[in-house]
Amino acid sequence: MQTSPPIQVTGLHQRYGGFEAVAGISFDVREGELYALLGTNGAGKTTTLETLEGHRPAHAGTVRVLGRDPHRDRRDVRPRIGIMLQEGGFFGDLTVAETVAHWRGFTPRPRDPDEVIGPAGLADRADVRVRQLSGGQKRRLDLALALLGRPEVLFLDEPTTGMDPEARRATWTIVRDVVDAGTTVLLTTHYLEEAERLADRLAIMHRGRIELAGTVREVVAGHGDRISFRLPERFQVAELPALGGVRAGIEVDGGRAVATYTVTGQGLQAGLYDLLRWADGRRVALDGLHARSASLEDVFLSTAEGADQ
Amino acid sequence: MTLARPAGIRPPGLAPLARVARLDLTLLWRNRSALFTVAGLPLLFAAMLVPMKGKPIEGVDGALLQGTGHLAFFVVFAVFMNLVNGLTARREDLTLKRLRGTALSDSEILGGGVLTAAVMYAVQAGALLVLLGAALGGRFPADPLLLLAGLGGGVAVFALLAFAVSGLTPNSDMAALTVLPIMFACMGGAGVMFPLDALPAAAQEALRLLPLSPVVEIVRTAYFGQDFVAYGPHLGVGLLGGWEACARSFAVLAAWIVVGRLLAARWFRWEPRRA
Ligand SMILES: Nc1ncnc2c1ncn2[C@@H]1O[C@H](COP(=O)(O)OP(=O)(O)O)[C@@H](O)[C@H]1O
Ligand SMILES: [Mg+2]
Repeated sequence: MQTSPPIQVTGLHQRYGGFEAVAGISFDVREGELYALLGTNGAGKTTTLETLEGHRPAHAGTVRVLGRDPHRDRRDVRPRIGIMLQEGGFFGDLTVAETVAHWRGFTPRPRDPDEVIGPAGLADRADVRVRQLSGGQKRRLDLALALLGRPEVLFLDEPTTGMDPEARRATWTIVRDVVDAGTTVLLTTHYLEEAERLADRLAIMHRGRIELAGTVREVVAGHGDRISFRLPERFQVAELPALGGVRAGIEVDGGRAVATYTVTGQGLQAGLYDLLRWADGRRVALDGLHARSASLEDVFLSTAEGADQ
Repeated sequence: MTLARPAGIRPPGLAPLARVARLDLTLLWRNRSALFTVAGLPLLFAAMLVPMKGKPIEGVDGALLQGTGHLAFFVVFAVFMNLVNGLTARREDLTLKRLRGTALSDSEILGGGVLTAAVMYAVQAGALLVLLGAALGGRFPADPLLLLAGLGGGVAVFALLAFAVSGLTPNSDMAALTVLPIMFACMGGAGVMFPLDALPAAAQEALRLLPLSPVVEIVRTAYFGQDFVAYGPHLGVGLLGGWEACARSFAVLAAWIVVGRLLAARWFRWEPRRA
């Protein structure tokens, strides 16, 4: 029985020349879990994934996939994992069906071609040369090849980049099914919605470090609640009241100024009460009044900003 | 990112090697310009032999002497040039990286390419031998085993050199720049393109250390059953005498295999360098 997590990363550092792309990160992915690495371009997501795939040894720290060193023992690890690179080349002269057929030859116990070509939405493109596929179709062929060997651990590097919304949703369904069947998945993305939809747990990476990690609920917790409304025409921001000691910030949305408070702890109810009393007293209508907990997007943006300061 | 494998050395599986070779051959068949390098160039060189028929050089028929030289140096087209071009193109278009994400081992991916190249070389060499025998008055090789050993040694040396040189070649357009100098040095130095008698002895001796030279020596000795390693008249060798005469050539080949292995481990890369 597998007792240790299928993916373990401890104190990983990775450098290119003098540049430290991954600066000491640690996380585990448990069996049957989908873990997302979320981050802006250059955060170090691909470098982390490719280290786990065994493309290069760790500069410092240790990585384990299925209990093995994925670089040193890659011959044993590779047959048990599936890889969807952020960018990998295809043989443009082969058709979709030929590509799958050749790849089946490189895979122990491969799935039937129909089992992967159909769900990838490529059944009617099977006899088309790969060079004639659209970017999104290539991405789906990529995913089909990664699934060919019934991997125990699946690495997906920006799986839906370049897809239209419909294809993206179809891909999410495939990935969700794979996870439901028990596969452990590590995925990178810069689409917040993708992480929110798919991830059991996630880490927000920025400049080679993990700034925050946990379930979406955990990551968002402690980032306060938001109260916002359109700034009434006859008021300046400075004239708005402080709610529980918090002053309003201003954002622009659709050409109109929007006042936003970020209240922490139990401040939402008291803050709203104070705000409504203030508005009542001045006979102001608060257009678009809105109270909600912090979203992953709020956290993502404030993490990037906070880390840059 | 080296060829060196710190632990778990296992030989490549035969079935995976064959599958990689099948992929290579499929792609070759669809790529007409690569197909020309493999099939067209040897034809061109073979045609050049015809006018030399009946003109003796070094005590044998000129067409046959030249033809056995071609037998050796086709390894430069079929193996060296072909692999440098192929590996460089595949590294840059990231297909090498994709192949490396499959269950195939590194040695199976690279070995499959070498197998394809070796098969193409074997086809060329076989066709040339038939041509020499059927149309140019040649004979059946005096020592076929020695001939095979020489060709095999050439494949090994030039495959390893191809790994090393492809690592230094930034893209397939630049391959001509890295391949041609080595190609001409090898061909010229082996005395295939023009005789080297006019050079000072020390220079001749030095040129025999180039990687193609021992292949030519072995191939000619094996084909004619005469010693083409020693200077002077090419005396006949007995049944096993060819191997003895070629001992020095095999030593040079072995040295190149060691050097090639080291350079390949040092220079070969699976992924493009980033700016
Ligand atoms: N092969 C490489 N050589 C040099 N720098 C690299 C290389 N690959 C990535 N980098 C740099 O390392 C950083 C992290 O890159 P990457 O892991 O691709 O991030 P992400 O996938 O999060 O966008 C970036 O600044 C990138 O420019
Ligand atoms: Mg990336």
